[in-house]
Amino acid sequence: MEPQTKRWKGSACDADSWVPYPVLSDEQSQDVELVDAFAAPITNKKATSRLVRELNALYPLSGLQHIKRVRACKDENGPHPLQVLLCLVSDAPDMKVVSIDSLLPSDGAKWEGLGEPFVVQIPAWPPLTRPQFELASRRWPTSFHEDKQVTVALKGELFGPQQKAMMHLYMMAALTAAKAAKDLGMEAVGAVVVDPEKEQIIAVGHDCRGNHPLHHAVMVCIDLVAQSQGSGCYRFDSFTACSFTSPKINASNPEVGPRPYICTGYDLYVTREPCVMCAMALVHSRIGRVFYGTASADGALGTKFKIHSRKDLNHRFEVFRGVLSDQCEHLNRM
Amino acid sequence: MGSEEGENPDSLERFCPTDEEIEKWMCSAFEMARDALENGEVPVGCLMVYKDEVVGRGRNEVNETKNATRHAEMVSLDQVLDWCRHSNLDTKSVCEQTVLYVTVEPCIMCAAALRLVNIPVVAYGCRNERFGGCGSVLDISSADLPHTGTTFKCVSGHRAEEAIEMLKTFYKQENPNAPKPKPRKD
Repeated sequence: MEPQTKRWKGSACDADSWVPYPVLSDEQSQDVELVDAFAAPITNKKATSRLVRELNALYPLSGLQHIKRVRACKDENGPHPLQVLLCLVSDAPDMKVVSIDSLLPSDGAKWEGLGEPFVVQIPAWPPLTRPQFELASRRWPTSFHEDKQVTVALKGELFGPQQKAMMHLYMMAALTAAKAAKDLGMEAVGAVVVDPEKEQIIAVGHDCRGNHPLHHAVMVCIDLVAQSQGSGCYRFDSFTACSFTSPKINASNPEVGPRPYICTGYDLYVTREPCVMCAMALVHSRIGRVFYGTASADGALGTKFKIHSRKDLNHRFEVFRGVLSDQCEHLNRM
Repeated sequence: MGSEEGENPDSLERFCPTDEEIEKWMCSAFEMARDALENGEVPVGCLMVYKDEVVGRGRNEVNETKNATRHAEMVSLDQVLDWCRHSNLDTKSVCEQTVLYVTVEPCIMCAAALRLVNIPVVAYGCRNERFGGCGSVLDISSADLPHTGTTFKCVSGHRAEEAIEMLKTFYKQENPNAPKPKPRKD
């Protein structure tokens, strides 16, 4: 045991050894989807604004508001420095040979100033994150309404040293609970529910599968929160590492402030990624945010599913992975 | 039945409840759901049947316990576990031969829980468009999750309209436990 303890203490002081990264939705983390379009060089630069106006009227590129119609060519010294999007390949009329005449109805001198059309791949959807924006822009100029918090979170810079110190404290409590579970012959998983506003630990739980096959650490914590609100349906008294504290109430005026309602506004710290059952239990419980240490094989907050970010469920929450990742990973090898 | 001692779930034939059995047991499940409705809970009721014996029954008790995971299936599974303890039978071998009858498609959480305890067959009434874990939102019942128990088979549709009507009646009411929406600050 001695070397382990030393290891834990050593890394406990090192706040830079771990970085919490957000677990984003599929839409936010997927590769940039591309769609084929026809573009053409603008051979007469002075005709650009007129051509854009005419093209917008003929092919409005609806659903592609993020796409800029004109791009400056990479080869600035080439004969035609500007290129313009004509239409999506799927919107083009049937034609034997691709040409301006077959793509655009010949209408006098209207299309003068356009060169020979060619096919390009353009981003099908507006980028949601900076990495997506950077990939999309390499294909065709794209506008981007940046969510600054996501950008900062993806860089691992969302939480300052003080916040990380609190996260460290909470995850250490979860790790201690996980080790207690291991000592009882259960799975080494621990969880802590926190009221982040009051910086108060509401519940500490660990895996109790030896007693009940569904008493995963998260399920235990959810019932402990119910107990902190004067209800719940199990007794975990025999597990000394499982505990709850009733939420602090404004002593001078207990009527002030909202009464706690299931896990609304609370954060969960858990040593490993929750399974499908636990993840959905957190949706039902309206958890605020979830922080976990390491991924798990059938995990439902990033690995197999992203239950926290589904638009078709009635509650969504932020998830961060990697909190005290080394120590949490170490639990699996104990 | 002696051949089951090998504990190989693949060799266990996936028994399927007959129409008569579904009708009979679902009748009790609906009674449980009605009881939930009368007590201000989401009207879902269920029964768990092992060798023609009811070993668990439940209805939603989320508001009563302030625990949002107390769905009918979870309540009833607790009874099955107690029954196994009292009967001195192994939980897994009982669950492997237990059918769940429930008025509404199990949610994602319950579907995963049913997998974790190795329930092989679920008969349900109506689909659960909000949370369904047997195809409506996600298909946890058949998903490839090697560390989350065993897949299960579903038989659906019995008295579906009635189950939906009960849900509609419930959702027309207000949730007295939900926090009041905050007034907008200017």
